[in-house]
Amino acid sequence: MPRYRYDDETVVAIVGSGAGGGTLANELTQTGHKVVLLEAGHHHSPDEFVNDEWRSFKQLAWLDKRTTSGSFRVATDFPNLPAWVCKTVGGTTVHWAGCCPRFMEHEFKSSTYYDGMDNVNALDWPISLADIEPYYDRAEAKLGLTGTNGIPQLPANNNYKVFANGAQGVGYKRFHTGRYACNPIARDDRPATIQDGFPFQGSKNRSRWSTLYTEIPRALQTGKPDLRPGCHVIRIETDDSGLATGVTYIDADGLEQFQRARLVAVAGNAIETPRLLLNSATELFSDGLANSSGQVGCNYMRHLTASVYAIFDEPVRMYRGETMAGHIEDEAPNDPSRGFVGGYYLQLLSLGVPFLAAFMNPGGWGREFTSAMEGYENMAGLWLVGEDMPQATNRVTLNHDELDQFGQPVPNVHFDDHPNDLAMREHAWQAGQALYESVGALRTIRTPPYPATHNIGTARMSERPEDGVVNAFGQAHDVPNLFVSDASQFTTGAAANPTLTIVALAIRQAEYITDQLRAGSIPTGHAVWNERDPGGAAPEVTEAATQADVN
Amino acid sequence: MPELSDHALETTLRVARAMYPHDALPDEAYEKVVRQIEADAHGNKAVQATIEQGIAELDEPTPFKDLEADDQLEALLRTEGGEYFNLVRATAVVELYDNPLVWKALGYEGPSVHLGGYVNRGFDDLDWLPDPPISLDPDAGSHHQNVR
Repeated sequence: MPRYRYDDETVVAIVGSGAGGGTLANELTQTGHKVVLLEAGHHHSPDEFVNDEWRSFKQLAWLDKRTTSGSFRVATDFPNLPAWVCKTVGGTTVHWAGCCPRFMEHEFKSSTYYDGMDNVNALDWPISLADIEPYYDRAEAKLGLTGTNGIPQLPANNNYKVFANGAQGVGYKRFHTGRYACNPIARDDRPATIQDGFPFQGSKNRSRWSTLYTEIPRALQTGKPDLRPGCHVIRIETDDSGLATGVTYIDADGLEQFQRARLVAVAGNAIETPRLLLNSATELFSDGLANSSGQVGCNYMRHLTASVYAIFDEPVRMYRGETMAGHIEDEAPNDPSRGFVGGYYLQLLSLGVPFLAAFMNPGGWGREFTSAMEGYENMAGLWLVGEDMPQATNRVTLNHDELDQFGQPVPNVHFDDHPNDLAMREHAWQAGQALYESVGALRTIRTPPYPATHNIGTARMSERPEDGVVNAFGQAHDVPNLFVSDASQFTTGAAANPTLTIVALAIRQAEYITDQLRAGSIPTGHAVWNERDPGGAAPEVTEAATQADVN
Repeated sequence: MPELSDHALETTLRVARAMYPHDALPDEAYEKVVRQIEADAHGNKAVQATIEQGIAELDEPTPFKDLEADDQLEALLRTEGGEYFNLVRATAVVELYDNPLVWKALGYEGPSVHLGGYVNRGFDDLDWLPDPPISLDPDAGSHHQNVR
């Protein structure tokens, strides 16, 4: 692996190595770009992952301090954990199950179906489904989705049998085991799933797609990327003309470093990405970097999220097998006659005993709680994921009263459910309960939203610079050599799990960056090295001596 | 002087048990909760004071550990939301259920990868419902053009 000099002004600096940053790094190195990939977390091998919910959480989760405000229940139940995302090489792709629906055509044109709603910061995407479809095709092949590219469906596991029979029981027609990013058969140098039931704890046998053992090692094989784990970027630097010159970060030894870059791409998840932009304020960008629209940090979305668990008089053992390999589409279309706009999916879900206890009814106790836990072996579960409304007041801001380990203000996440979110959640809970009751559930349990793994919208795409932060390719309207490469750039959340769309947009963005750099259309900032280098002399270049060894 | 009295440890176990009652579980399952609270109290005067004050409140007029189950529940409801109540509840919901002994009692098999997962160990052995289709019914159509 090469180690680029801190003053190398030809590198692309990418912040974050998850679905967006990891994919972008691979795509850019495949076309010959030099990439410095900065990741705040450690570089774990899948061999280090553990089939243990709390231990794994401590190993992988992003646990740096965050604060919350607003009326959402998470602010009460988990005031310092608004989101359940990862701090590790591979980002949150080490912690996901693999559900990958595409967005629907109308979901790119939200202003048409949000029409007339109060307190919705409606905006159409600057792209349509047709623009992204070719990249969905490529993303699906990359992720190896079941039911695409000749890859079979996953088989029915126990939890799916209850889920799908229930779907039939209430008359749903469009259900299956999912477009799912986990190998049903050995493929792409990775084995088939062993149905171990621990997707959120890291896929030990690598059967589930993660940038950790697909995109990143493939990038490393090109000899072009310089992967720096344990490096937490605290500021994007800009010059007097408003162009990005590089990033300042705290390295694994706790030292502040400045990495020069021709272009900076940020993919830190929709809480850290706006935090970094806001923290990069200068005299020129007094409200935060790339924030002339005032939209940085606004429109934070976290998806509907709710769950239903049901107890039967016979064993289910929902924890066995691929945790989320079940998908119902019937409630996904936009049908305002239900009393809300947008739609939702019902997806299979199971938690182990430790996390079911933590999340089933936070704060709950007594016989009602323990009798549900005693139904664990006979329990089935599903998750409800749907579109929540972009609201300008739901936002990530800097909390200057709380500083992190690097002396930086922590992010505060403010969220109030929109009446549309509440109406959709009520409908979805009822639908999930009816599904299970149709196959004989003795008891159903409504579980409230978890800390969000889908974090969306805080640096949104817009046609016009005054409406959003980035253009149709994720390029900052205000700073042409700055890109946003994660779900922060989503204009709206749609009903679908975001990873497939993050990957598709990253592939598309890489193509755009390559074309634009070749054409000389992206200007480069001018750093004055001696003034900008807080860490002393730049290191010598070392040749590609330590070839990628993460497999 | 130990940081927490035997009475405090014994009462905390009874409180955890009354909050999360599983009749089939031995006291041993709840001892893990007490050990964690002991660790939290170690060298922390504020936590020690929370525990002593919380128990004093629960012991009025009759020691909590001597109460019948219904009266224990009433005492808990009376102190719900207090600092000691919240400490025991938040600790118990993690520690009690993060224990292989409890997993076994509830029918959860825990880590599986070292046993080869469940692919050959019953991931699909549910037999009280018919086997449903796993693929989208082509006649049902889809709003996803990619779904086939």
